[in-house]
Amino acid sequence: MFTGYQHKKRVHERYKIIGFISSGTYGRVYKAEGKNGRVGEFAIKKFKPDKEGEVQYTGISQSGIREMALCTELSHPHVVHTVEIILEDKSIFIVFEYAEHDLLQIIHHHNSNQRGAIPARTVKSIMHQLLQGLVYLHKSWVLHRDLKPANIMVTSAGKVKIGDLGLARLFYKPLHSLFTGDKVVVTIWYRAPELLLGSRHYTPAIDLWSVGCIFAELLQLRPIFKGEELKADPKSKAVPFQRNQMQKIVEIMGMPIKDRWPLLTSMPEYGHLSSLAAGNPRMRAPQSLEHWYETCLRNNHWPKASSPDSPGPEGLSLLQQLLEYDPQKRITAEKALLHPYFSIHGKPLESCFEESKIKYPVRTVSQDNEIRSSSLPGTKRSGIDDHSMGRPVKRLKQDG
Amino acid sequence: MAASYWDSTQKKFWTFTKPQLQLVRQKLEESDRNIVSLYPLPDRRYLSIYFYHQLSKMARPLGIRQQALATAQVYVRRFYTRVEIRRTNPALLLATALYVACKMEECPQHIRMILGEARHCWADTSFTDVTIIGECEFTLISELDSQLIVHHPYRSLTELQNQFQLTQEENSLAWSIINDHYLTDLPLLHAPHVIAITAMFLAVVLKPTQGGMQGSAAGLTAAMQTLGNARNATGGAHIRVQKLVDWLAESQVDIEAVVECTQELISLYEVWESYSDKACKDQIAKFVKARGMDTRRE
Repeated sequence: MFTGYQHKKRVHERYKIIGFISSGTYGRVYKAEGKNGRVGEFAIKKFKPDKEGEVQYTGISQSGIREMALCTELSHPHVVHTVEIILEDKSIFIVFEYAEHDLLQIIHHHNSNQRGAIPARTVKSIMHQLLQGLVYLHKSWVLHRDLKPANIMVTSAGKVKIGDLGLARLFYKPLHSLFTGDKVVVTIWYRAPELLLGSRHYTPAIDLWSVGCIFAELLQLRPIFKGEELKADPKSKAVPFQRNQMQKIVEIMGMPIKDRWPLLTSMPEYGHLSSLAAGNPRMRAPQSLEHWYETCLRNNHWPKASSPDSPGPEGLSLLQQLLEYDPQKRITAEKALLHPYFSIHGKPLESCFEESKIKYPVRTVSQDNEIRSSSLPGTKRSGIDDHSMGRPVKRLKQDG
Repeated sequence: MAASYWDSTQKKFWTFTKPQLQLVRQKLEESDRNIVSLYPLPDRRYLSIYFYHQLSKMARPLGIRQQALATAQVYVRRFYTRVEIRRTNPALLLATALYVACKMEECPQHIRMILGEARHCWADTSFTDVTIIGECEFTLISELDSQLIVHHPYRSLTELQNQFQLTQEENSLAWSIINDHYLTDLPLLHAPHVIAITAMFLAVVLKPTQGGMQGSAAGLTAAMQTLGNARNATGGAHIRVQKLVDWLAESQVDIEAVVECTQELISLYEVWESYSDKACKDQIAKFVKARGMDTRRE
């Protein structure tokens, strides 16, 4: 198109790749150091613009475009900072600030070698920071849609930052129902009940359910609702009802009822719900969240009464409001920050590692510093990519 | 959209003062003095009208809605503050801008569909395969620094519509005035809510019965006078208009900005009368052909 158009920025002139961190369908993430006067450590996410296996180049995927636009637009102390985006040759590089830890890694660390619970103050600080980031996203009309421990970064200074906006979307007056774009979002264990029941309208409440699941996991060091995912039929692309996941939720939370969730009966998959109970005694006598919480406190040797060294009764109250079935009743991020859990024993710690003697291991970086373009097999993200669904659409609705 | 407009990249990086914008363009032309003097171009507004016609031609068969079209227009205008137009093939840039805008505005089109419409629209032999749009997409996004979220005045208009209980006709006139402002530099100069207020104001003052904006110079002059009254906060006009004028005077809205927008729109409607599709087409074709951008990629 242009005579002598030059890419203005080149990754290798600006960064030195130290090693490989992780991969997904989108591509790969590398750890890097600044070069030529640029100081500090960075995480560089490289995604291939084209789909693998496709002969012809089809442009940047819609989720790629969204992620790039949102990363440049957003800026908040509790959202991973985007340093720059470089488009070079046929690849896109998003350069992020580096975070030494993430919640998944922290949970793993406590899980191994009987290390025991994450200190109650650390959990509180993590939740407080996470919610601040989420308030910002929601105020900016952004739904994250994929909150899970692996996507919550923690810097070595104990600052919590929401990462991976790969599935995030603006929800202000979407041109099409958010449902039509990509049907499956959020890693199944963190998926809100209204999504499991086929809701077509995503609201910020889905992120708050995920936050509830993360809170529970920080307390118990295990996913609270660890269901098995049913894969979509590759031929029909129909989204199956995630029976097992719903079952895991009901086993603890009890069956949702119309009295508490008025729109329940109008959910597309509502019919499946009654069949869940049939022949399953655990469904009829659910454990209840209170019981789950009590067991959790006991196992962690946390005092039952309100105390700075226990999530206490306030923790349960917050958890109940986050894991509220009815998305309209579920607590918002803004209100959650005002919950007594965060104020009863003074302000939460600004750094989640403050007052903690635990040393967390640094991020594993493998010595694969060749920037490869293909992603590893079997590391697919849960979201169906827009392009794979929306083959040439002949005619879209014109509404204004 | 993202955060409020006040924290947006649009406000921070893509809103200029008039002298700033002029300087940016002057620098661009100076760095390419040769081709600039070789290939004179029509008034920027004529080019914008031409571009709009071409974009609409591509968008219509695909049923692409107005907001995506508006976003594409903003991308093109921003892009040409960074790259001299004579170094580009505008047909390719327009097709690409539309392609990216559709993805950003959540109404994605397959790249092949865009290519097909572009080929049909320009009968341009250079649109051989989707790769050229793919390459241009990279260039476009790079030049825009990946800042692809555009705040439009349509949303502010919806709020104003409720506040002032605009009639259906007033609302649709205001809507079409907003559509027209993309043909000017206003999207690079003013905040979307200022544009929306201007559009609403003109719609109420001009009254939709006058059958469109073009050529109603008398009505526009009246509008200017009314705005002048707002500046001095004295009245005299029709009650509804007066209410609006009072609100304007009391609000935090920059009246000077509204006046400037009104003037910009008036002069657009004036020059529009002598618009010629062919003149634009021919002059663009000249530099595209001469520079070989229609057949050869470099």
